[in-house]
Amino acid sequence: MKELLQYILDGLSIGSIYALIALGLVVIYRGTGHINFAQGEMALFSTLVTWWLHDKGVPLLLAIAISAALAFVGGALIDVGLMRPAGRRSAFAPVVVAIGLFQGLNSLSGLLFPKSGQGLPFPSLFPNKPKDFVSIFGAAWRIERIGVLAVVLVTTALLFVLFQKTKIGLAMRTVANDATSAKLVGVPTNRILMFSWALAAVIGAIGGALKAGIDTNVSIGSMFSVFLLSAAAATLGGLDSPGGAVIGGLSLGVIESLVGNYPHDWPASDWIGIKTKTVVAFLIILIVLLVRPSGLFGSSRVERV
Amino acid sequence: MSALLTVRGLSAGYGPIEVLHGVDLDVQEGQVAVILGANGAGKTTMLRAISGMIPRTGVVDFNGQSIIKTAPERIVSLGVAQVPQGRGTFTDLTVDDNMRAGAYVRHDHEVVSDLALWYETFPRLKDRRSQKAGTLSGGEQQMLAIARALMSRPKLLLCDEPSLGLAPLITKALFQTIQRLNEQHGLTVLLVEQNANLALDIAHHVCLLETGLIIAAGSPAAIASDDAVRRAYLGA
Amino acid sequence: MTSTLRARQIRYGGSLHWILRAIVAAVLVVLVWRMVSGAVPSSLGKYTEAMALAIAALSLNLLFGFNGQISIGHSTFAGISAFFLGYSIRFWDNIAFVSLVEACVLCFLVGVVIGLPALRLKGPYLALVTLAIAYVWPTVARQFIERKVTAVTGESALTKFLVRPPSWTGLKNTRQDRALYLFWVALALMVLCYVVVRNLRTSRVGRSLVAVRDNETAAAVMGVNLARTKVLTFGVSAAMAGVSGWLIAAEIGTVDENSFTILTSIKYILALILGGAATLTGPIVGAFAYFFADDYLKRHAPHWNWLPGKFGDGPIASFLLGVLVIGFVFIAPQGIVGLCRRIGRNIATVVPEPIRGPTHEPANEPNNLPNNLPNNLGESTS
Repeated sequence: MKELLQYILDGLSIGSIYALIALGLVVIYRGTGHINFAQGEMALFSTLVTWWLHDKGVPLLLAIAISAALAFVGGALIDVGLMRPAGRRSAFAPVVVAIGLFQGLNSLSGLLFPKSGQGLPFPSLFPNKPKDFVSIFGAAWRIERIGVLAVVLVTTALLFVLFQKTKIGLAMRTVANDATSAKLVGVPTNRILMFSWALAAVIGAIGGALKAGIDTNVSIGSMFSVFLLSAAAATLGGLDSPGGAVIGGLSLGVIESLVGNYPHDWPASDWIGIKTKTVVAFLIILIVLLVRPSGLFGSSRVERV
Repeated sequence: MSALLTVRGLSAGYGPIEVLHGVDLDVQEGQVAVILGANGAGKTTMLRAISGMIPRTGVVDFNGQSIIKTAPERIVSLGVAQVPQGRGTFTDLTVDDNMRAGAYVRHDHEVVSDLALWYETFPRLKDRRSQKAGTLSGGEQQMLAIARALMSRPKLLLCDEPSLGLAPLITKALFQTIQRLNEQHGLTVLLVEQNANLALDIAHHVCLLETGLIIAAGSPAAIASDDAVRRAYLGA
Repeated sequence: MTSTLRARQIRYGGSLHWILRAIVAAVLVVLVWRMVSGAVPSSLGKYTEAMALAIAALSLNLLFGFNGQISIGHSTFAGISAFFLGYSIRFWDNIAFVSLVEACVLCFLVGVVIGLPALRLKGPYLALVTLAIAYVWPTVARQFIERKVTAVTGESALTKFLVRPPSWTGLKNTRQDRALYLFWVALALMVLCYVVVRNLRTSRVGRSLVAVRDNETAAAVMGVNLARTKVLTFGVSAAMAGVSGWLIAAEIGTVDENSFTILTSIKYILALILGGAATLTGPIVGAFAYFFADDYLKRHAPHWNWLPGKFGDGPIASFLLGVLVIGFVFIAPQGIVGLCRRIGRNIATVVPEPIRGPTHEPANEPNNLPNNLPNNLGESTS
């Protein structure tokens, strides 16, 4: 029972990072109808910038803040310089550009930070020594994991305030719902999309730093699996639902953690365990999607012929 | 009395297909102007061309200022609000959020009092303010679309076939509402309709649009007495 | 429709058209001859790999270009087939061609099973399911190797399976002859796949594929069996991806769990986009362009000293490839084939043929090349 609680907390902690990156995907999906395949690599690039700043002596928190600010600008530039012109070519062009961006950013990271291929040591934001845990309900909860979870939950809460309570959030929701009508009420849809890309990039910068902190390492391969799991989380929750992305991310993290710690003396432990945890997680998502094709909380639109 | 909206030689279309072939139109301040036309005459295209949603050429002056090169969101903030065909409400947003979205272009502090004003005018909407717009009936959504447009404090309201898909009684109430808005609030309205009988009742000025050209314009009485119009639109 | 009428008129005055075709055929024959004559195994192998990539792009085009279903999981089918070849030759003493047929059937069945969710899932959701499959495959493959290979032979990959030329070819079992043999097999398989896609496309089946792509509801109303069309397309496409994987495995002679990853799938997509989706020849052109651009950049880019800094090897090539792909979206959104058509159309107006007016929408326009297909991918889904 104690272990179970611990596994769930670990799962929630890593799942919260999936949830955060998934939110970045949802923000862009709602605005454009496309999955941003470069989300993980955008996060990777920002994380490497954070690493570089920290390596040059900038305090970690400040480094994250600077890199998030740079990501904001970079995300906006990606929209203005690449995605929007591509969108004018054809409806599918932005997807291709995102795939190209994925490849370009990944190799650019390798070029600018040559040692990132093997992995660069990344400091954790929170105390992560073996002794740094608190005991709650008899289970040992590591302070680092609690810290990550807290940071993500606060960030998520801020995002929800942005979506629900601010004028720009309202504009984002109108664009997601009906871009033509949004224009008709005077929403500058292009600027809103630009903001969405900027926001997604900032989310990536924060999520990437947290993930690298947990791993105490950042390498050019490390964000791809985070992207995949976040995409899966967003799909599970429904690609156009921010709440769904959070729930999807957290449950994916918990599923992974529970499957990864599946007891060896239980049935089928040959097939369920640390090596196949992602497989099992994806299978569960597949089953969910078969029952609910637009994810748990996604909206299915009626198409007019 | 001066023309709030002046349109000269307006041409517009979709891709290589031109739908409007040089249309002239004046909408006087404080009046209800109606464009009558059959399906495919170019009515919707005309409103979209005025509000800048599609590429257009010609002259469009609003309030003495050319808006031919102005972006649609900027045109809204100048005071032209459009109620699109099929209502175009934000179905996933609540009624309240729809209304607030309507006030997006405004930066004053009277949004809340305006909200109260229009909820008073449309009490049904007030009852459903926290419901998602997609759950409203057709007539309620049309009301919402108009109320949302009013939230931007427009000088000119463009209405695209508000009667579409509504029951006759509801349509009638809707037209009364539009008339009331015109009389009590001095709102200038440019209305596009197929339903000639109702539209002629509230119009000050009527244009007939056929295959992208204005073929007749004048007072409702003059238009209604025209034999061709009577045969085509009034079923008499 | 008037457009088909115009296309016929051009065919009617077709002596020029036949001359064009003859020229194209002659160029192709010369190209193939140039590839084979005096080539060493390594360069023959490159052609074989490029053709395997072309087959994968063809299979993806059938699914995506003509039927509108996006798959990022096609590397998995290739992987299944490659493993099947390796395992069946090594452990069952299978004949290579028997294993090709069996692998295709296997991939078809797996494709049908995976295609089933496609009935309910749309666009990005389907893309993510296939992405998940591609992500899961290496894990499954690792388990397979550990249980079925490492446990028996102690090796950590499937190796030592050779596809030997049969005796009737007169080729010997040398490295050179094996490479030459595989080259011809690859060419035959690529042509076969091209013909299959081409015939599917121009048949009744092909029209129903495109109808489903452009508007599912409308297609269903017109009597297209949505479920059967989509699932069978997925199956055939998967089998074709299997052919590609079989070829790669036969050429390289060793496979492990990292041979077919998501990056492989992305390579298929990029090759298709580069050549031109929803065109018949696009996948082949794109595959060769991608393969040799990649090959060229990998060999030369690290030595370009006009590049800033000292970049060493590796990432610069893949970086430039990414830039190339993005650039292509802007220079030639319809791919190389689309670009050639656009240029060709300008030339065609010089010829005194009964041709269309100038204000026509170019995207949907047929032309006098053999592959006159609508190329309005994506734009029609509003």
